[in-house]
Amino acid sequence: MNALLLVARREIVAQVRTRAFAIGLAVMVLLVGGATFAPKLFGGPDSYALGTVGTSALQIQDAKWTTYRDEASATKALKDGDVDAVIAGKKVLSNGELDPKLDALLQSANAQAQIKAAGLTITPLNVVSVGPGADAEHTRRGLAFIVVLVLFMLIISTPMMVAMGVVEEKGSRIVEILFTTVRPWQLLGGKILGLGAVGLINLAGVIAAGLVAATASGLAADLPPGLAGIVAGVVVWFILGYTFFAALAAALGSLVSRQEEVGNALAPMTTLIVVAYGVAFYALGDPGSTVARVVSLLPPFSAIVMPVRTAAADVALWEVAVSGVLLLAAVAGIVLLGARIYERAVLRTGARVRIGDVLKSS
Amino acid sequence: MSPEVADIGVYCCHLPLGTLGGMLETVELRKSFGRPVLDGVSLAVRPGEVFGFVGANGAGKTTTMRIVMGVLTPDGGEVRWQGEPLDFAARRTFGYLPEERGLYQKMRVAEQITYFGRLHGLTPQAAARATGALVERLGLAERANETVQALSLGNQQRVQLAVALVHDPAVLVLDEPFSGLDPLAVDALGEVLRERARGGVPVIFSSHQLELVERLCDSVGIIANGRIVAGGTVDELRAGGRTLTEIFRQAAMGEAAK
Repeated sequence: MNALLLVARREIVAQVRTRAFAIGLAVMVLLVGGATFAPKLFGGPDSYALGTVGTSALQIQDAKWTTYRDEASATKALKDGDVDAVIAGKKVLSNGELDPKLDALLQSANAQAQIKAAGLTITPLNVVSVGPGADAEHTRRGLAFIVVLVLFMLIISTPMMVAMGVVEEKGSRIVEILFTTVRPWQLLGGKILGLGAVGLINLAGVIAAGLVAATASGLAADLPPGLAGIVAGVVVWFILGYTFFAALAAALGSLVSRQEEVGNALAPMTTLIVVAYGVAFYALGDPGSTVARVVSLLPPFSAIVMPVRTAAADVALWEVAVSGVLLLAAVAGIVLLGARIYERAVLRTGARVRIGDVLKSS
Repeated sequence: MSPEVADIGVYCCHLPLGTLGGMLETVELRKSFGRPVLDGVSLAVRPGEVFGFVGANGAGKTTTMRIVMGVLTPDGGEVRWQGEPLDFAARRTFGYLPEERGLYQKMRVAEQITYFGRLHGLTPQAAARATGALVERLGLAERANETVQALSLGNQQRVQLAVALVHDPAVLVLDEPFSGLDPLAVDALGEVLRERARGGVPVIFSSHQLELVERLCDSVGIIANGRIVAGGTVDELRAGGRTLTEIFRQAAMGEAAK
């Protein structure tokens, strides 16, 4: 087996065995599963529990009717939350303000019942949607929100593991032994490849959790038709974005020799990701705005903003293509530059290496 | 110039020509970190020879070894192996124990040794076999499945040695391999080094334990202020009836007096 793959395999095994990996994956799965279930828990009910006192039930789809003896028992049931509204003669009893949607349903059902009683028949208007329904729109925003969250967490934590690995090898001088048998690009490439695979395992877990939760909660019916494309897109954008930030993290990490310095050394990278995250959040609310459109073309921010835009709304294919090509070029550039910095800085132990010194020296 | 103060290269002349191929040489190595650290270090380690590299702290032993292993680039001079300038492919066959020990703390002992064996190009089976033998030999069998960080420093040192030896190296470069070892481990390692040398491998190691050097080595090089100030076979150096310690002291002081 080639040295690069040996390094990658070691990274995967070393990470997957840690408790941090299991906990991190569990937390993300629960978070995404929960976020997928949430609209079901906090959103309005799909069916109503209704009651009558001395009148007959109205024709309302999916309503469950209960008959009460008198207004007193109906009031008690309302206050206990057993029933959403009770029709008592010409009154509608409710606990506080009546849900406007239910109000409209009751009024229209009542009107229809009276018209029918008068011997007239009316043909109700049939609504045919030519665009996504309000529910689908809502679900799509929710999906985009989850995409932002997951990409942010993975794109910041996985390159951080790369940097920590680089510093572990530099600080302990293992790198001196490794470089007698492995080329710097093999060590760095194997590390980025292996930890990228770990990131993909996390991503796959999260996607599976999201899909299972969506199916279980019945939300899947509202998901946009191009879901497979959106998911595939997220994976591709993750790979590109991760590679960019991993190369950057390796270069920045190679400048320091101690784990305590990693956070500080990575500050430029985390700043970039947080900015991308902020814009992505903005794009979530207004995916078609100029800011969102421009930033979704701009590497490395595009790695997070573009998948969010495609998840939140339909994006022209040319925009996706331009964004992808630009990001790919940026990834190639940063990988070459990062490998160069890494190779020169990783053997210089001791005080923090200045990036200018590294680039100047031949 | 006293008889022992000479270029060690001259001592290889009694070797049959055929074995010249497996010789490790440094030729006029120079290196400066602001101040000169190596000032033309030339030495030669013949195949099957155990070479003791001796000198005060800061004399240039580690810098020389780091240059041999490609960790540092010399300002001048070169390292030769089998008569040719040493390159990456050839260096891959070397075994190296750096001055500052480095292991993956969270990796298990046997896995770590096997991993380095694989990186040096061994097949999974060969790496596992070599690991098993070394773990046994270095007294780590009971610790094979523990993580490195769970071991005592002495045992970590043994793992480090196993990492340097696992791929059956063509040359051994060991920076203070005996430091931190108990007497039993010192004997075990000494035996391993002699055994590798008998197989035709040039072995170079640095040490401050002069009686150990006297006992184990075929030849010795004494470095002071970045220059080889004395060298030769142990017998040659002791021909004047003096111990290595006395020679060392005189060489170091002579250099300091300049």
